[in-house]
Amino acid sequence: MKRIGRREFIKGTTGAAAALAASFALKPSPVRAAKATGSRPRKVIVIGFDGMDPKLCDALMASGAMPNLDALRRRNGYRRLGTSDPPQSPVAWANFINGAGPGSHGIFDFIHRDPEKQALPFFAAATTVPAQGSIEWGDYRIALDFWPFNHKPERTILTRQGTPFWHYLDKAKIESTFYDLPSNYPPSPSEYGYHRCLSGMGTPDLLGTYGTYQLFTEDGPEQTVSKGGGDQSRIVFNGNTSGRLSLQGPKHTFLKEPKPVQIDFVVNRDCDARAAVIEIQNQALVLKEGEWSPWIKLVYALSMPSVLPQVEVAGICRFYLQEVAPNFRLYVTPINIDPSDPAVQITEPFGFASEISRKLGLFYTTGFQEDHKALSHGVFSDDEFVRQATSVLRERERLLDYALREYDDGLLFFYFSSTDLQSHMLWWESDRRHPTRSLAEAKKYFGHIKTLYRRMDAIVGRLLKRYGDKAHILVMSDHGFANFERQFSLNSWLRDNGYLGPAEASSIMSDVEWSESRAFGLGINGVYLNLKGRERFGVVEPGEERNRLLDELAAKLEAVRDADGRRVIEKVHRSDKEYKGPATRFAPDLIVGYARDFRASWKTCLGSITDRVLLNNDSAWSADHCVDSSLVPGVLFSNRPIAAADPRLIDLAPSILAHYNLKIPGTMSGRNIFKT
Amino acid sequence: MDFLLSVVSGLNSASNAVGGLVFFWIARVPGELSITIISAIIGVLLLILFKYTSNQKAIGRVRDEINAELLAIKLFKDSLRVTFVSQARLFWGSLKLLAYSLIPMLIMIVPVSLVLAQLGLWYQARAFRIGEPITVKLQLNRSFDDLTALELEPAPGFETVVGPVRVFSKKEVYWKLRALAGGEHRLVFRVGDTAYEKRVAVGASLMRLSRKRPSSQFLDALLHPLETPLPPASTVRAIELFYPSRDSKICGTNYWIIYFFVVSMVFAFVFKPILKVRI
Repeated sequence: MKRIGRREFIKGTTGAAAALAASFALKPSPVRAAKATGSRPRKVIVIGFDGMDPKLCDALMASGAMPNLDALRRRNGYRRLGTSDPPQSPVAWANFINGAGPGSHGIFDFIHRDPEKQALPFFAAATTVPAQGSIEWGDYRIALDFWPFNHKPERTILTRQGTPFWHYLDKAKIESTFYDLPSNYPPSPSEYGYHRCLSGMGTPDLLGTYGTYQLFTEDGPEQTVSKGGGDQSRIVFNGNTSGRLSLQGPKHTFLKEPKPVQIDFVVNRDCDARAAVIEIQNQALVLKEGEWSPWIKLVYALSMPSVLPQVEVAGICRFYLQEVAPNFRLYVTPINIDPSDPAVQITEPFGFASEISRKLGLFYTTGFQEDHKALSHGVFSDDEFVRQATSVLRERERLLDYALREYDDGLLFFYFSSTDLQSHMLWWESDRRHPTRSLAEAKKYFGHIKTLYRRMDAIVGRLLKRYGDKAHILVMSDHGFANFERQFSLNSWLRDNGYLGPAEASSIMSDVEWSESRAFGLGINGVYLNLKGRERFGVVEPGEERNRLLDELAAKLEAVRDADGRRVIEKVHRSDKEYKGPATRFAPDLIVGYARDFRASWKTCLGSITDRVLLNNDSAWSADHCVDSSLVPGVLFSNRPIAAADPRLIDLAPSILAHYNLKIPGTMSGRNIFKT
Repeated sequence: MDFLLSVVSGLNSASNAVGGLVFFWIARVPGELSITIISAIIGVLLLILFKYTSNQKAIGRVRDEINAELLAIKLFKDSLRVTFVSQARLFWGSLKLLAYSLIPMLIMIVPVSLVLAQLGLWYQARAFRIGEPITVKLQLNRSFDDLTALELEPAPGFETVVGPVRVFSKKEVYWKLRALAGGEHRLVFRVGDTAYEKRVAVGASLMRLSRKRPSSQFLDALLHPLETPLPPASTVRAIELFYPSRDSKICGTNYWIIYFFVVSMVFAFVFKPILKVRI
């Protein structure tokens, strides 16, 4: 029997409701009031291409390679879109969601610090609250969330503050559906039942990380080695043909001493056939060298005390047989949360994920789908990364087709990560030395980015053909892109200039003497003063000393030059002048806007201090956008003329509300950029 | 064992023929509807079978005795002696009921098993879709060293994606195929001069599927009735296909059997007074 969702029920009863309304000449309901938008279509479709860059768009439009977006440009429907400060995706998308800056939503970087714990870092977008109350039973500690126990199990909380703009649509009974929305995990609830969302960037894998692949090789380490984002292990074949392996799963948190649960599986290889058979949980996968498996369902069994039923957690993964012999290599994607049977809430409402999966099959649910870590760690070659990333895009295009089939009214938002994560790894727009590739290879893979942009243009073309002027179509990106050639070690610079001590300190997490430290860097763009009364071991006096120090640091940082005379930092912004709103508790004091080609060093992000201040970037992550916001605006295309000359991300939410004749709330600092 | 296998094979042939005639319409209606109709009808038929294979008079007498003891407990609830004696009689009555049900239950086991095996062919898995990968496993009775040649004959409805891939430790060979056309197909495996066949179903509707060409073992033949078991002396022991699970909480993999029992019991209870059956 088919389950009937609320939307299907509404569809089914629309006819009867319309007849009733006509018969009784009801007062205008919120739905009908919202419909009264003059000649404007009721449908609004927003396509978010994360990181789509205006410079590249301009060049491709000029060469005729992006005819569909160029057609919008010629209709006065193209502008560069002002991004967030700093131009990091979680910050930028939260700006889009609130229609206001970071002061409204409290997300300032990927990483924040806890001032009460003196620079202790934590993820900015979500936080895990430990279980409150439990019973102990042998080796187990179990939270019982029902009367009379009423324990609160461990849970993850969205830390983004303020009111998302869909709340106003929800209240006005205007349907909104978001696919892969960043900065919204766990998904915020729909108060009135007219909002649905599949969480995007920020959604973890089943292990609770932002994506941890597993690699099994014959020459791998004897004991599993965990690099950030990947676990690598050795496979030992019995008689050169069969090997037994374990797939790491989530932590068994019902144990007093939590440890990961595993699924054992067997790999049988046939070196002559250059193929292998993987036997896992009554499934047999036959893969030839270089082949990906489809999505496979896995069930991790969490043991429980004998009187309680065993708990099962569902996950999905794909296998990729890289090599059969002489060095067997098997890559496994991060174990994604199974959308057909989600272990945690990844959609609003909860059942939305399984509803999609019933009609579409299995799909990536982690926020970061392109496995950039595998490329950075040398597990993937460039071509293998391109193949994996292309398969992600194909899957997302199928999801978009599904979304459009299901869409009949209100707001539809659809997000593509491809333009961001592929650009991070493949973008290179200069003749200077690339971190990991020859110049010819760098050009080749930048060519792939151009092909990707053309593919995105084709997606927009299909959308325009399907809807024409029957929907208001917005195509936007949260920021642009720039090469990442040189790393700036902010804490090393602070140390060299006497702001951070002692001279031999290696990390603000371990051996910094706070009594002789006036400022420190954490995250990608933040500088924090060691302010008395705010930081636990603060030394800088608030008021005059703080002001003087902020201006001094800003001036000195802006004056930093590389050995070849290039400017390293374009602009340093004071957050007290930049951010307005009630959620500034975790804001840094200064936002460092790097010049193109430069970015904070990898080690700066978690507070490390290196010998040298400026270093070459040697990572496959060779492009970035965490520079000065003025240098990497996003794009905005529209099939209606854009009235404003300089639209910003924060203007989109108010514009959408205005489209539906809804009042723009005072908490939003953006404005309507279209003619009313 | 050979005798048992012959009996099962004979019963399978008969039930396949009957099942093909009786259940052909399953392919033409939604799975949820067909399983509900079949469960309801079988529930009522089993009730009738119970009526005529059980001692209804004796069951009725025990039921009356049980009701009398229940009444006694209600009336003399202050008397411990009466309560305990009645409890003991109730227990004894329940045992007698169980004993009277034993023969009809034993008689019903055979048709119910055959019916479930036939229904399993329809509901336990779904057919491959066109373009979907098909995993085939061939289990051998001999080691690879004793084999002269082993191949999958090219079939017009399929293309071979990977294979043969040998699993030396288990004497198994795998292929991955892709279906190019819908319908009932036959795969032909050739080992030396001998050919071995396996049915494959490809399509979007409900189809009668045989997951395994069984070995000569009794249980294997019982669980996979649609195809003839392979002889014990043959090189190939069994041929298996990994059909995808059917996603439905009513007629899907592993759910259909629960639904079948629930619906058949509900209908049996509904028709119990109408058909005047005492259980």
